[in-house]
Amino acid sequence: MPQPQLATNVRKVTDDIAVLDIEGELTAFADKTLTDAYTLATDDGARVIILNFDNLQYMNSSGIGLLVTLLVRVNRTKQRLLTCGLSDHYKTIFELTRLNEAIGTYETEADAIQAAQS
Amino acid sequence: MTVSVQTLWSTVRRRRLGRSTAQLAETARPTIIPVPEIAPNDPLVAYLQSVAAAVDIEDLELDSPALRQMRDNGVQMVVPLVSQGELIGLLCLGPRLSQQEYSADDRTLLNNLAAQATPAVRVAQLVRQQEAEAQERERIEHELQVARLIQHTLLPKTLPELSGWQLAAYYQPAREVGGDFYDFIELSDNRLGIVVGDVTDKGVPAALVMATTRSLMRAAGQQLDSPGAVLERVNEALYPDIPENMFVTCLYAVLDTATGQLRYANAGHDLPYRRHGTEAIELRATGMPLGLLPGMAYEEKETVLEPGDSLLLYSDGLVEAHNQDGDMFGFPRTRELIGGFVDTAGTLIDFLLTELSQFTGSGWEQEDDITLVTISCSAAHRSAWLQSESEGQVSDRDPLAAFTVSSVPGNERIVMDRVAEAAAGLDLPETTLEQLKTAVAEATMNAMEHGNHYQEDMPVAVEVLHAADDLIVRITDQGEPYIPENPEIPDLDAKLAGLQSPRGWGLFLIQNMVDEMNVTNDDSGHTIELIVHLKGETHGSPV
Repeated sequence: MPQPQLATNVRKVTDDIAVLDIEGELTAFADKTLTDAYTLATDDGARVIILNFDNLQYMNSSGIGLLVTLLVRVNRTKQRLLTCGLSDHYKTIFELTRLNEAIGTYETEADAIQAAQS
Repeated sequence: MTVSVQTLWSTVRRRRLGRSTAQLAETARPTIIPVPEIAPNDPLVAYLQSVAAAVDIEDLELDSPALRQMRDNGVQMVVPLVSQGELIGLLCLGPRLSQQEYSADDRTLLNNLAAQATPAVRVAQLVRQQEAEAQERERIEHELQVARLIQHTLLPKTLPELSGWQLAAYYQPAREVGGDFYDFIELSDNRLGIVVGDVTDKGVPAALVMATTRSLMRAAGQQLDSPGAVLERVNEALYPDIPENMFVTCLYAVLDTATGQLRYANAGHDLPYRRHGTEAIELRATGMPLGLLPGMAYEEKETVLEPGDSLLLYSDGLVEAHNQDGDMFGFPRTRELIGGFVDTAGTLIDFLLTELSQFTGSGWEQEDDITLVTISCSAAHRSAWLQSESEGQVSDRDPLAAFTVSSVPGNERIVMDRVAEAAAGLDLPETTLEQLKTAVAEATMNAMEHGNHYQEDMPVAVEVLHAADDLIVRITDQGEPYIPENPEIPDLDAKLAGLQSPRGWGLFLIQNMVDEMNVTNDDSGHTIELIVHLKGETHGSPV
């Protein structure tokens, strides 16, 4: 059986902006890894979370479910959730699910950081 | 214990008192006369073994046929040759040529002679016995070679290649070749005759009966459609010619390779199994073995091999194998193994043989021939047939791939990749291919989770078909239908407001990633069919 893998790396960009590198597969198996990374960034004072999807290999409906859950938390704590680096295919899925309306999507990390600072 | 008594020689001169010298000279020549075989239970044997010395048979009072015959033949004195308490021979003597009685010295001389002759006779007997045994062994070995040759020559050299079906056969003779055989008869109208049989007895006689039966089955199979009628005819032809105490058990089935319909009749052979999902179904039809009695009728039954189904035919060498504790492999074990077999891990035959070798342990000497034949219906084949059946015409769908995966989380990635691989030749636009992959992964996850409840041994069957203007992917699970009639449409606002579960995107994604989605149920399972139109209106971004 293939072992679904997700690695996250939390990078603090400014005092209140953190980038979460999402590397690998965003599926049901990613739940804990994603939550832990988010908690780590938040505990460190991040008010804006940028999900960097440059190295996303695969995301399925369960992964979308995780993003919705994350979005609910972020909204509750009045944080902001942004993304960058989505492939055309996943951009289509974001549009289809209207996630793009709730999560700011940007081409590059720099674009996202700039938007976060504005 | 049987006593073997060998009479060495006897010299008898008939007592003719008062005859002339010339007559005497004529009659006094030593004469060698036949001495009767002595039955092991003749009381004379026990008596001679106990005395182990020269005996005047006039003095004996025994109810012994051998004794009577010796007296009639003119034997007067016998000297038993006894080796290790066993009577191995006799010196039989008629009257002395001098016509005098045997003296005490004569007796002593004879007893000494016997004592010295006995070991030499015993050694000679053992040598002769060993030579005979060696000759017999050589004869048997030669006969086995002939039997092996006959069997080897007559078993199929290659398996028929049938679109949508996989055939496999295994045959391993025991050291003393038994009478197992199998055969495939290619018939008209896409039909295939399948024969598995076992001749009682071993060696050349069994091989010859096997050869005859095979020829009779081939001839009858070509002429008659009904498996029951075929067995009936072969029985009639075999009965007058088969050696007494021999018979043939034989299973004959005719498979319609276009529809999966299987008609079968059985002449006392082990019941075949149809593997369907996790079930092993015995295919029972009654009938007497071939060659036992004339005028037999054979019950005929019918079943259908569905996609993913396999048929196993076998001989008793498998089920009657014993382990070192004397336990038998047996039908219940065989049946359970067939039901539990997951075909992602090799072939059913390999699986059964591995289980058998684990059961018997190392150093097992195979007791009987082992024959295993399997016929499996691939999922793609069945789909094409269902399609042509529902449309009432021959299908123009071209199967690109058919495979199964077990219901293990993460296996949707395998399906995704294999479907993409199968569709590689169609030059789909990158966007369309990515969307198809997502739809395939989601449909597979649903099949594994909601259909098969992630039970590892329940496979998800996948077929990729290319019709004229469509790419079709069919994903089948073994469960009950799980898609509600009016599924909830996921709404992000409702989810963010906690009015809907954050999950529940799968079906929505599938519907939006391909041009058409159809759901069908039949007795082989629950199928989601994904269709991508290859021409005309292309499937764009559904914004």
